[in-house]
Order: sequence, then C-alpha cells, then structure tokens
Amino acid sequence: MLRNRNRGDNLNSLTRRNFAFALSAAGLLAGCSKAPQKIRLALNWKPEPEFGGYYAAPYQKHGLDVEILPGGAGTPTVQMIGAGSAEFGIVSGDELIIARSRGNDVLGLFAVFQHDPLSIMAHASRKAASLADVFKGGTVGLQRGLAYARMLEKKYGFGKVKIVPSPGGDVTAFLHDPMFAQQCYLTAEPLIAKKQGADVQVFRIADEGYDPYTAMMATSGEYLRKNPQTVAAMVAAVREGMRSYLDDPKPVNEKMNALNPSMPLDVFAGASEAQRALVETDETSKNGLGSMTKERWDAIISQLKDLGDIPAVVPAEECFRNL
Amino acid sequence: MNAAPNRFTRAVPALVPLVVVTAIAELAVRADWVKAYLVPAPSSVLRAMIEGRQELIDALLTTSASALTGFFLSTLGGIAIAVFLASSRTIQKAFYPYAVFFQTVPIIAIAPLLVIWFGYGTRTVIASAFIVSIFPVIANTLSGILSTDPALRDLFRLYGASTPVTLFKLRFPAALPQILTGLRVASGLAVIGAIVGEFIGGQGLGSVVDSARTQQRVDKVFAAVLLASVLGLALFGLINLVSHVTLRRWHASEQE
Repeated sequence: MLRNRNRGDNLNSLTRRNFAFALSAAGLLAGCSKAPQKIRLALNWKPEPEFGGYYAAPYQKHGLDVEILPGGAGTPTVQMIGAGSAEFGIVSGDELIIARSRGNDVLGLFAVFQHDPLSIMAHASRKAASLADVFKGGTVGLQRGLAYARMLEKKYGFGKVKIVPSPGGDVTAFLHDPMFAQQCYLTAEPLIAKKQGADVQVFRIADEGYDPYTAMMATSGEYLRKNPQTVAAMVAAVREGMRSYLDDPKPVNEKMNALNPSMPLDVFAGASEAQRALVETDETSKNGLGSMTKERWDAIISQLKDLGDIPAVVPAEECFRNL
Repeated sequence: MNAAPNRFTRAVPALVPLVVVTAIAELAVRADWVKAYLVPAPSSVLRAMIEGRQELIDALLTTSASALTGFFLSTLGGIAIAVFLASSRTIQKAFYPYAVFFQTVPIIAIAPLLVIWFGYGTRTVIASAFIVSIFPVIANTLSGILSTDPALRDLFRLYGASTPVTLFKLRFPAALPQILTGLRVASGLAVIGAIVGEFIGGQGLGSVVDSARTQQRVDKVFAAVLLASVLGLALFGLINLVSHVTLRRWHASEQE
C-alpha cells in the first residue's frame, strides 16, 4: 500500500521526458507485487519418493514460483520456517508439536504420510516375532533424541541391546552385522538392503501406537496470516501434484533420481509403490489428500506430554490447518 | 600481596568480551529480537547446564578421554612420521603427499567405514580425533627439524656426532617451538575430531549434541558445545604450560 501511494506522488511531479522511464519503473514495481514471488520449500532429506508430490506439483499453474531446497541429515526445517529462511518446509508432526511448545509458531498444512513410515528393520534370519525380540540383543541404530525412541525404551528397555547413533540411510553396518537393527523408513532402507542381498524384517513404529503425520508441509503462523492466498495456492498445487504422482510416479521419479543419483531408479519405483497405502487412506478419499484430523493430533500431543517432551499440552487445533 | 590483583588485571581484557557478548545475547532474547529457539539466552544455557549436570559431566569425561587419547596418538605418530620424513629427501618426496591425505580426508564421508573398522564407541571416536589432528603435528615438526641452524649442524658434524645424537641433542630441541605450535593446532582439532566421531560412533558430548538437536533443545546444544570449548581450552593451556617449561630458558616466545 505504502509503495503504491509513493509511486502516484512521483508520477505527478514528473516531466514528460521522464515519463516513459517512470512508466517502465512503475511497471517494474507493480510487477514485483503481482508476479510470482520466489517461495522456498525446504526439504528435510534428499529428494526421495516421499517428496514426489512436492516435485510433481504444478506451481506455475497456481501462480507460484517455488524453489525446492533439498536437505540432509539434521536440516533444521522447523527452525528455518520460524526464522523465515524458508516460507515452507517439510516437518513431522511430533517435531512440530515440540517446536510449538518452545514458542516457534509453525503449523502443518499438508500431510503426505497419513501414517508414519518410521520403522525398525532387522535381519530376517533372527526370526524376531516382534520388536520386543529385536530389543533382546545385538545392536540397534536409532536417534535417541526422538520421542519414539524413548517410547520404545519405556516399553522394552534398552538394557540388553547396544544403542548406537542412527546411520541415517546408510545400510553398511546393517549388511555387515546380522545382529544389527536400525531405524528406517519403511519405504527406503529396507528396499536398499534387500537390493544388496539382505533378507529384511520390518517393524513399524505406528504399530506400536506412535503414529504422527509426517513428510508434512508446514509454514509459520505469521506467513499464513500475511499471505493466506499464497498458502492456499501452495496447498492446492501440492495436492494436485500428489494426485499426479500417485497416478504416474515415473516421470517425477526420473526427475528426483537426477537430483539424487545415489538412490537407484528401481528403488525409487519400489518406494513410490510401497508408500501408496500411507498416502491414500479412507480418510483422504473422504477429505482430500494431505488432510488431517484433530483426533490424530490430540493423540500424539498427549503421548509427547506423557513422554516429557513437552511441558504442557498444546492445543491440537493450532497445530494444523486443512485448506 | 601483589600477585592477586595482578592476576586479576591480566584477566580483565579477556573477560570484557565475554561479559559484553553474554549481556547482549541475554538482552536480545529477552527483548524478543532473536527467537529463543534460534539462539538460546545465556541464562537458559546455564540452566540447561545445571539441570543436566550429571549427563553433561559424564559426557565431558568420555569425550575428554577420547580426545586426549587421539591427541596423544597423533603427537607420537606425527612426530615419528616427521622424523622419518626428515631422514632423506627421497623419503620425503615419496611419502609426504600421503601425509597430506590426512589433512584432506573428509571425516564425515569415511565415518561409516570407521564404524565398521573400529566398531561403535570409543575406538571409532579416538580414530576420528587422531585422523583429524595428526597433520599439523607432522607438518610443523617436519618444518622444525628441517630448519635447524646449519652452523650448529656443522658444529655437530665437526665433533663427529652420530645421526641419532644430532637428532636428539640438536634438531629435535631446536624444532620444539614449531612442534609445540603444531600441537596447539592439533589440540583443538582433536576435540573437534572426537565430537564428530561421537556423532557417528555414539557417546560423549557429540551424542548429547545430536540428541539435544533432535529434541530442539538449543540451550542444551549450546551447553554441550561450551563444555567442548572448555575441553579445547584446557588442552591448549596444557600445551602452553609444557611450552613455558621447556622453552622459557632459551626461546624468545616464552620470555617476556
């Protein structure tokens, strides 16, 4: 508003000669406020099938100019959104709740994974009947800082196993040691390990009753208040992208493989098939892809409260917005 | 009587930046110029330190043991390699490029292999500290040994001193100031190497940092990082002490 008014004042005091130049300058200024603004979407991992929908999204059709920033181990997307170094970012539900309880006003918009693919994989040769058996011996690589790890510790105890840091996508140690188990994504590491000849058994953390929304696009409360239309356009574009990725993952897989050649194309193909059931559920066929419910948020909030990850319950309705 | 105020006045220049920076950080967070989830207030770092003191002290001790062992090994190894390299021009030409390898090895990239070779835990951490800190010891020791005063070398030759005698009585002592410079650089690197090793191998301050980071506990991350710096400073102080004891009688750097 302020910028527009200043521009009008300048025009009145201009000579004819300068008029053409001023007109183009004014056009430029007007252009700035109307043309697609560069929007950054920060991923929390390398380009992989969980981001297929984000890579497939027809942003331009929705008047958006989006730059996708690939991430890696420990990319602090939730802090980046809060700090404004990315307008949108990929976070997981539990991470978002913890961030909110620390005063970082971030909220979820589109949950790719309706159910968490987080799992623990072990060698099938161990013939473990359940996770309880996995925690009876050997080594387990997991991120101790994550709430789910403490839930498992409470449930099974870590007394009999050696807990080591999660190798984060690397399966070398796993292939090397038949008693090694590790935190993984149902849709990623088990496929890679199988490809290398290992016989793998996968135990999902969601089956243990801990199931936050993940691969979720989030933004800050402030950005949503100031740019409600941009946010709505972004969600619409991503929802369309997700649909087209589900219908035909091949072209987008090829695009992502070019950006992340360390994941072979057949693993991309396998993973995009494996994740279907996590993306499309009865819930989403009723309410749309990516949509979320208050009940699910409530469940994970009270679990985090019980685990001591948040000092007090945060209101579930402030954590997300279905657009 | 004079010693106490003297020591105090000497500490003042170092304390001023600390107080100023701490005060600004505290003010910036309290006034909400900076969000607490991006930069923690010094008071909350202190609180995290007090609350987590048992865990942090245990972690500090574990990291100290690994960093010290890694540093000790790179001191011994680095000096031995430098002496070997100094023994002839040909040997130097043949092997020095490989010593440079240690300088450039991206520790994060080979970390999963370190875990396979040395297993999870202390040995991987020590290996990481060693690999990261050995090069400055080699480089500085070598340059020290090679720059012995030629006049003194001639003197030793004149008196028919054997190669080992020349090495231990002349070249090595003369190289000491440079060796100690190498060790100063290596001491800080050993702490960094240990913490990086702990990210992958588990345990210690590295593990605390990793876990606090996933829990978005910036205050605890800073608390652990501060302790790592204290460890680095302590090692640095130790080398300065050795430097003072060994050099004060003859080297300009230790004479006021």
